[in-house]
Amino acid sequence: MDAQLVVIVAGAVLALAIIGSLIFLRGYSGRFIFDTKTGTRPRATEGQGNTVDLSLKGRLKLLTVGVGAALGALAVKLWSMQMVSADYYEGLAEQNRTRTVTTAAPRGRILDRDGVELVTNRPALSLAAYRDLADDPLVVRHLANLLGVPYISVMRSILDYNQSAQSLHTIAVDVRRSTVAYIEEHPAEFEGVHVVEGTERSYPHGTLACHLLGYTGTITQEQLKAQREAADEGRNSSGSVVYESGDIVGQAGVELQYENLLQGIRGERTVRVDSGGTVVAEAGEVPGSAGSDIKLTISLKIQQACEEAIQLGIEAAKRAGDAADAGACICMDVTNGEILGMASFPTFDPSVFIGGVSNADWSVLNSEEAGTPMVNRAISGQYMSASTIKALSSLAALEFGTYTATQTTNCVGWWTGLGESAGKWCYNHAGHGIQDLRLGIVNSCDSVFYDIGKAFYYSEDAKDGLQTVFKRWGLGSACGIDLPGEAEGRVPDAAWKREYFSNWSEGDRAWNPGDELNIVIGQGDILVTPLQMASVYAGVGMGGVEYVPHVFLSAVARDGEGTAVSYEPRERLRAEVHADADLALVRSGLEGVIYEETDSITRHFRDLPVRVAGKTGTGEKEGKDDFGWFVAYAPADEPKYVVSVLIEQGGFGSVSALPALRHVLGALYDAPDTAAYVGGDQTR
Amino acid sequence: MPANERRIKRINKKMGAGRGSLSQAVNIPVLAATLALILFGCLAVWSASLTISVASFPRHLFGIVLGLAVGALMWRIDFRALGNLSTALLVIDLIVIFMPFIPGLSYRANGLTGWIRVPLIGLTFQPVELAKIVTAFFMASLGAQYHGHIDTVRDYAKLCGMLAIPFGAVVVAGDLGSGLVVFMGGVAIICMSGPRREWVLSTIAILIGFVSLLLAADSVFDSLLGHDVLIKQYQMNRLLVFLDPTADTSGAGYNLMQSLIAVGSGGFFGKGIGHATQSGQGFLPEAHTDFMFALLSETFGFLGAAILLILFAVLIFSTIRVVHRSDSLFLKLVGVGIIGMWTFQIFENIGMCIGLMPITGIPLPFISFGSSSMIMQCATVGIVQSIWRTRSKAA
Repeated sequence: MDAQLVVIVAGAVLALAIIGSLIFLRGYSGRFIFDTKTGTRPRATEGQGNTVDLSLKGRLKLLTVGVGAALGALAVKLWSMQMVSADYYEGLAEQNRTRTVTTAAPRGRILDRDGVELVTNRPALSLAAYRDLADDPLVVRHLANLLGVPYISVMRSILDYNQSAQSLHTIAVDVRRSTVAYIEEHPAEFEGVHVVEGTERSYPHGTLACHLLGYTGTITQEQLKAQREAADEGRNSSGSVVYESGDIVGQAGVELQYENLLQGIRGERTVRVDSGGTVVAEAGEVPGSAGSDIKLTISLKIQQACEEAIQLGIEAAKRAGDAADAGACICMDVTNGEILGMASFPTFDPSVFIGGVSNADWSVLNSEEAGTPMVNRAISGQYMSASTIKALSSLAALEFGTYTATQTTNCVGWWTGLGESAGKWCYNHAGHGIQDLRLGIVNSCDSVFYDIGKAFYYSEDAKDGLQTVFKRWGLGSACGIDLPGEAEGRVPDAAWKREYFSNWSEGDRAWNPGDELNIVIGQGDILVTPLQMASVYAGVGMGGVEYVPHVFLSAVARDGEGTAVSYEPRERLRAEVHADADLALVRSGLEGVIYEETDSITRHFRDLPVRVAGKTGTGEKEGKDDFGWFVAYAPADEPKYVVSVLIEQGGFGSVSALPALRHVLGALYDAPDTAAYVGGDQTR
Repeated sequence: MPANERRIKRINKKMGAGRGSLSQAVNIPVLAATLALILFGCLAVWSASLTISVASFPRHLFGIVLGLAVGALMWRIDFRALGNLSTALLVIDLIVIFMPFIPGLSYRANGLTGWIRVPLIGLTFQPVELAKIVTAFFMASLGAQYHGHIDTVRDYAKLCGMLAIPFGAVVVAGDLGSGLVVFMGGVAIICMSGPRREWVLSTIAILIGFVSLLLAADSVFDSLLGHDVLIKQYQMNRLLVFLDPTADTSGAGYNLMQSLIAVGSGGFFGKGIGHATQSGQGFLPEAHTDFMFALLSETFGFLGAAILLILFAVLIFSTIRVVHRSDSLFLKLVGVGIIGMWTFQIFENIGMCIGLMPITGIPLPFISFGSSSMIMQCATVGIVQSIWRTRSKAA
């Protein structure tokens, strides 16, 4: 209430009361006598004193009534509190003296498809203290020195007001045994410091599949806020875990995606406390239960092969003089979308997140200089598809009749289909000679595809034919893999270009023949992820059916017996094929890439027990070395696996991506590559 | 004349009750109620002493022994002579009130103020407890001179002005709660002295206006002068949480909330000695002094609280009877002052524990831990017994 207003009102009341009294009392004014020694006071009470007695008697009755009313009011209020509302106050008293302290439950493990541990828990020692340790700055300072952390940060951990006063506040996790031993040997100096045995995430294979598995960390304020908001709106499902400050939750990858399954259910300890919060008695305990173990579709062997494959690719590229520094490799089961291996390089060590990652580490992990190791390039990296797109370009050409199976192009190395001034090089400057569509795929002859692009550009009714087919096969949209952070890629068309370059002049924003020629060979503005290309080639191998890629296989029930949840494969899309013959031509061409184009490719595949079909690619990025691609499925006639490899700045796909792809296939079929790699394999 | 008939009856009764010489000298109901209250207090203090180390039961017993001695002494004194000594009483009253400020006497420890340490014996004491009684005598001596009828408004105003002196002195000395006790005792005496009803009502209206102006102006003055003047901030907070006990239950409203929980959770039979959680585990602050009633009703429930209220009722109503039977107007008024102070202390102390009154630091007569209060309450009972002993003019 406005203070000044109250003053005015109260003043008015006072003035009115005084004026009223004065009017009321007018005429009663008598002589003022103060002197108590002399004057009118009749000392004797007898005689005329009867009147005193009488009037006092009445007033005493009034006094009796007043006292009775006061005591009666107290009795009534007491009755209402102690008899009527006793339960309510009893509840409050109970609430006053009991506290619930939660105990952490271990997270579920993450296993590969054969049950091999990828992420597990290990016992870890941490130091913790109750809040009152903050009253003992000497111990805190001593502890800070021992741990080698600033005094103020230890103090902050102890005082953490987001946690309840009765729970132990963690000061340091994963403390070295020697440190713990020192503390235990000097109990007097570290009074109030508790050594707590807990569990921490452990990664038996180090950085293996780090992007896919993700990492854990303390729940962030944003996540807690989101949870509160969800609770306010009543969106929380009844069974879900309610998080508290300080909880360890998944922050990326599978750890984040399947947080609900992995998170354990906290135990609760009820204690009796006094007013100072000191525990005086235990009142009960509900033990926690560990989170579910989950099985991934990943096979440790294939995953390792994928990781090694990127290294092989990078080494090969470096031998050829390219600045290869990063890459991605995926191996997927085309018949159900199971991801058998998914690697991205550079990697990070998920164990740096245990106990909280430092700001310095975090900024390095996200810096360009370090190669942004936190990015899972297999699903989040967007690249030009390069020649790997030619399988779809061919299908589009056949479907819309912009190039027929029997049509030919004479490749002389310099393509002048749009006039000499707009001439373009085929990557093979010497020319491929006369090529039909199948040979165009086999030899990756750009001239053939320039003719297709030109025909689409000038076509009356199929101007968007390429884009239609690309999108039909799943480019430009996320595959829906069960991992956070998947990119959608981009299929550029005239509308996109107008929008994207909105501050360019009208003429420059228009879709021109050059744009069409770029996308038909997968250069320019088209963007795909390695996962999308794997999905496309799975579709090509499966006659148009692409499954939703997934890494989750099943969750083991919390009690460790049986399977609680398992993944049901779902079709992502079923791409309509114009004619079976078209697809057969393309598949034949893709097989030709492996077995017909050049012996420098073919000899690496002779050892394999199955035939392979695939396509190399070399993306041209301005200011960087070329990006090498190789996507292939096997067996060629009845595909089971698809492998997609990308080496950033790896140069020709046949140089860098080939050894990588072959390594994964070798792991799949237990047929290591025996052929030597020699320089000079320069096909796209 | 009815009054004469009654007097004759009384004389007859006195003559016929020769064997009851004890009940002539001592008012049995007052004494019995007092002793019962003291016993109840002992029980409560003993149960508090189980968990609260400061609440030393032997010290409480010592206070009772001393109090009974002082009470017996008072009983033997004939106070009628004091009726003529109003000026002297005022001087004594003021000296007593400001005793804690006299160097050599004042005793400060643990942030306590208003205590003195009697030299040589080293006994500590709160003089304001004594001042309450002296003020009752002072106001009674003034009121008695009007013979039951205050005829002029000037006399009434003078009487009111006289009350303002000890009241103001106690407040200035730093104890608003005791000041209010003194004030209520004085108000009872003035009302009994025979003012016209209209004057009293007018005074109440003016007081209400003045107090609300004071409350409202307080924050304005505070902000103008930049520091806490008039009403202290903690007193303001107590008023605010009284109006809304659920506001700020961890800060200013903590005491009140914990007290409400303690009382309410006691139920009908109480939690029993040693099982009280609110007072036993330290949730209830000042459980052995100001919030003794909360401790008592948590431990003994509604049953205990009701017995306590009945004992108080017996004490006060018997005292009213004593007053009624006294022949001395001066002593009647002293008795009325004592009744007023008791009633206010009980109502305020129990009321604040159950949210009926704002919190002030007033002990519950005969129950709260604290020797000063115990000694003076016993002395008060002694005075009431003295009034009874000297009730007839002839004696």
